[in-house]
Amino acid sequence: MAFTMRAVKVPPNSASLEEARHRVFDFFRQACRAIPSIMEIYNLDDVVTPSQLRSTIAKEIRKNQGVTNPKVIDMLLFKGMEELGNITEHAKQRHHVIGQYVVGQKGLVQDMEKDQGSSDFLKKFYTSNYS
Amino acid sequence: MAAALSAVVSAKLGCPPAAALGSWKGSRISSRNLVSMKTMTARRGLVSLRSPRFRVFCAAKAETVGKVMQIVKQQLALGEEAKLAPESQFTELGADSLDTVEIVMALEEEFGITVEEDNAQSITTIQDAADLIDKLVAGGGGKPPAAA
Repeated sequence: MAFTMRAVKVPPNSASLEEARHRVFDFFRQACRAIPSIMEIYNLDDVVTPSQLRSTIAKEIRKNQGVTNPKVIDMLLFKGMEELGNITEHAKQRHHVIGQYVVGQKGLVQDMEKDQGSSDFLKKFYTSNYS
Repeated sequence: MAAALSAVVSAKLGCPPAAALGSWKGSRISSRNLVSMKTMTARRGLVSLRSPRFRVFCAAKAETVGKVMQIVKQQLALGEEAKLAPESQFTELGADSLDTVEIVMALEEEFGITVEEDNAQSITTIQDAADLIDKLVAGGGGKPPAAA
C-alpha cells in the first residue's frame, strides 16, 4: 500500500537547472536525516558510522556532478528517492545495504567513472571480462 | 550635621545605621562601593562581576568555534596543521555547494539541532555556523525529526 501511494506522487519536472539543483540539496538533506533510523533498522552500528554513510551518499551524488540537463537530474532524483524509500521501508536486507554503501567503496562494487566521451567499445574494454 | 548625613545615606542605601557610623572617610568610600555594586547588578541583571561573566561567555563561544573548525577539517579532509580562521569561507577551503550542505548536516548531528533551509543557505563562514549553532542551542532547537 505504501509503495502504491508513493508511486503516485511524482513531482513535476524542474523548470530550470537552478530548481533541479535545489531539489538535489533537499534530497541530500532528507537522506542525511534518515541515516540514524537506517542504522537502527539494519543494525549497522558495528560496521559503519553516520559520518561515513553521509560521505558515501555525497560521493554517489557527486558522481553525477557533470549532468546539466534538468530532465536527467529529475530522473536521477526520482531513482534516488525510490532507493531511499526502499531502504527506509525494509525492502532491502542488511547485506544489500552493507554491500552497496559500506563495503562497496573498497572494491566490491566496480566504481566505474561515468565517462561521457568514450565509445561503447572502450567502456566495455575498461570494464574487462566481468559479467 | 555629619550624623544626619550618615543617617540619610544609610537610609537611602538600605544599610543598618550601625554599619554606617564609622569615620566619615570610611563611610564615604564604603557608600561609593555599594552604589557601584548596586548599579552594576541592576544594569546587568546578574549578581556576578564583569570578569567571570565575560570569561564564561568567551569560553562558550570559543568552544563552539573550535568544534566547528574540527568538523570542517574532518569533512574537507584538511590536515590537522591547517590553520583556520573564524572568517574563513568554506569555498576558500575548497568546498563546493554539496560540501557545504554536508558540513551543515554534520553540525546538525554533532549538536543535536535542526537547521532550516533558509538558515542553512546563509552559512558561508565558520563564524556564521558557530553563531547559528549558539542561537539554536540556546533556543532549544528540536531534535532531528525521525524519517517517515
